[in-house]
Amino acid sequence: MTVIQMNQAKPTSLLSVRELCVDYASRQGLKRAVDRVSFDVGANEVLGLAGESGSGKSTVAYAIARLHRPPAFITGGSIVLDGTDVLKLQGETLRQWRWRDVSMVLQSAMNALNPLLTVAAQFADLFRAHGIRNKAEIRERSAELLRMVGIAPDRLLDYPHRFSGGMRQRLVIAMALALSPKLIIMDEPTTALDVVVQRELLEEVTVLRRRLGFSILFITHDLALMSQFCDRIGIMLNGDLVEMGPPMQMVEAPQHPYTRKLWNAIPPLHPSEMPPRRVLENTP
Amino acid sequence: MTQPILETRKLGMVYRGHRDVAALTDVSFTLHRGRALALVGESGSGKSTCAKILTRMVTATGGQILFDGKDVTRPGNRREVLAYRSQVQMVFQDPFAALNPAHDVRHHLSRPLALHKPELGRGEREDRAVELSMMVGLDPVETLGKYPHELSGGQRQRVNLARAMAVDPSVLIADEPTSMLDVSIRLTILDMFKPLKRDRGIAMLYITHDIATARYVAEETAVIYGGRIVEIGPTSAIIDAPRHPYTRLLLAAVPEIGRPFGATDASLVREADRVREISREPGRLSEVAPGHLVRECSASHI
Repeated sequence: MTVIQMNQAKPTSLLSVRELCVDYASRQGLKRAVDRVSFDVGANEVLGLAGESGSGKSTVAYAIARLHRPPAFITGGSIVLDGTDVLKLQGETLRQWRWRDVSMVLQSAMNALNPLLTVAAQFADLFRAHGIRNKAEIRERSAELLRMVGIAPDRLLDYPHRFSGGMRQRLVIAMALALSPKLIIMDEPTTALDVVVQRELLEEVTVLRRRLGFSILFITHDLALMSQFCDRIGIMLNGDLVEMGPPMQMVEAPQHPYTRKLWNAIPPLHPSEMPPRRVLENTP
Repeated sequence: MTQPILETRKLGMVYRGHRDVAALTDVSFTLHRGRALALVGESGSGKSTCAKILTRMVTATGGQILFDGKDVTRPGNRREVLAYRSQVQMVFQDPFAALNPAHDVRHHLSRPLALHKPELGRGEREDRAVELSMMVGLDPVETLGKYPHELSGGQRQRVNLARAMAVDPSVLIADEPTSMLDVSIRLTILDMFKPLKRDRGIAMLYITHDIATARYVAEETAVIYGGRIVEIGPTSAIIDAPRHPYTRLLLAAVPEIGRPFGATDASLVREADRVREISREPGRLSEVAPGHLVRECSASHI
């Protein structure tokens, strides 16, 4: 592994991923999608993972939530979330752990909601699956969640098609918040949205995170967005985590040639106001 | 300025249905040889409808289109339509869907020649296919016999561009040509447009949701919202001195390297709904600087 700058494990590390390997079984044998990847996510931190299609960033996300399915297999390493050995979870314990400790927001909110059920029914499903059956409590908590993401609670009785793309993604975020998880994995949560809606949504997520104190693992291919929204960012290339650090450091002094290539591939909006980039001698 | 190669005058499009939808209203712009106009807007703003009208996939319900000074608003006979189509070519957003999986690259490049230049013989078509693939940076020996599934997304988009250029068009319409490609190769595709403008005098309509690439590709930019152009002018003026609230909202929201959310002004983003509302108003376009037009709206102070 060619990690040039590893992050140090923070004292308040919430998630700790060590030497994680994920392979896909194919007719040609095993294909390594994630190769000995290690990183931490601190409490109340937003960690970004960027990379191009096929870099393994989504595979990492799915492995952490234990949502990976054959032909993907975790073939090595460890994942520990707040003291829980994630790879040891089984059956009902795993099912309860998911969403209560870690929830996920996927790219396509249009497909994440059931078009045949009202929003209220989908919230109720979620609560019932985690042992909350009191109807009044479900109603109250659902309404509160909607208020939290800026949607009027009376819209609980609407079906998903009555909401715009941005609102649907808000609903999905509300669902992800429902059981107050410690970590929310967001896999390209705003890719299908317009930039203005994207910004509105992420501003709201920032406010909620300050208030509720969860951590975010933010997966995207949009490096510019990542540099704005995340506390630290990691760059993935062919299953390898090649570089990780705070955004400004990664922008001003990228160490890995691939990171530099990615920055240079983004045309700047204000070329004259770009932060100066240190020219590095003896780069690998 | 010289006579525009393509001009739209108050173009309008209403999709009739059980509720009529005005997709485009009063859209006027000009395309000039060797220059590009970026049409920037969010999904549903009408920018793709504009491309569909100009490539004759749909017919506008209002307004005029002038090609080289001649009114071509109504499709004429088959010969005229064919002539127009060979002059106005398109590169589509989805490089995967735009190629026929059952045919190789050679077929994709020689088919337009067979249709639009029937006078060419088989050998000449082959020569032209070789030339076209080299123009877009593809090795003809390696590529011409390949099928779309054997090509990467970037290679496929190169084939799409070569195909569009096969019939020597004077206007190229590119609808989000890089939005489905990996970040690291996007610029290499956009870079191919520059010599086409400079050396072949191609006039280009570059349709995008990404205003940062507009600066990279186009001399002029039009920002479209709710089917209306809200601001149009030199790209540098639009980005550095935006006047319309929607343009400013767009610029405030667009991701920019190394500018943390907290450090940028998010007040406009908080007022996004209000900006959207006033941006739908049918105000008049007025000139604020030479060539820089802004649609009047009720709250220009935002």
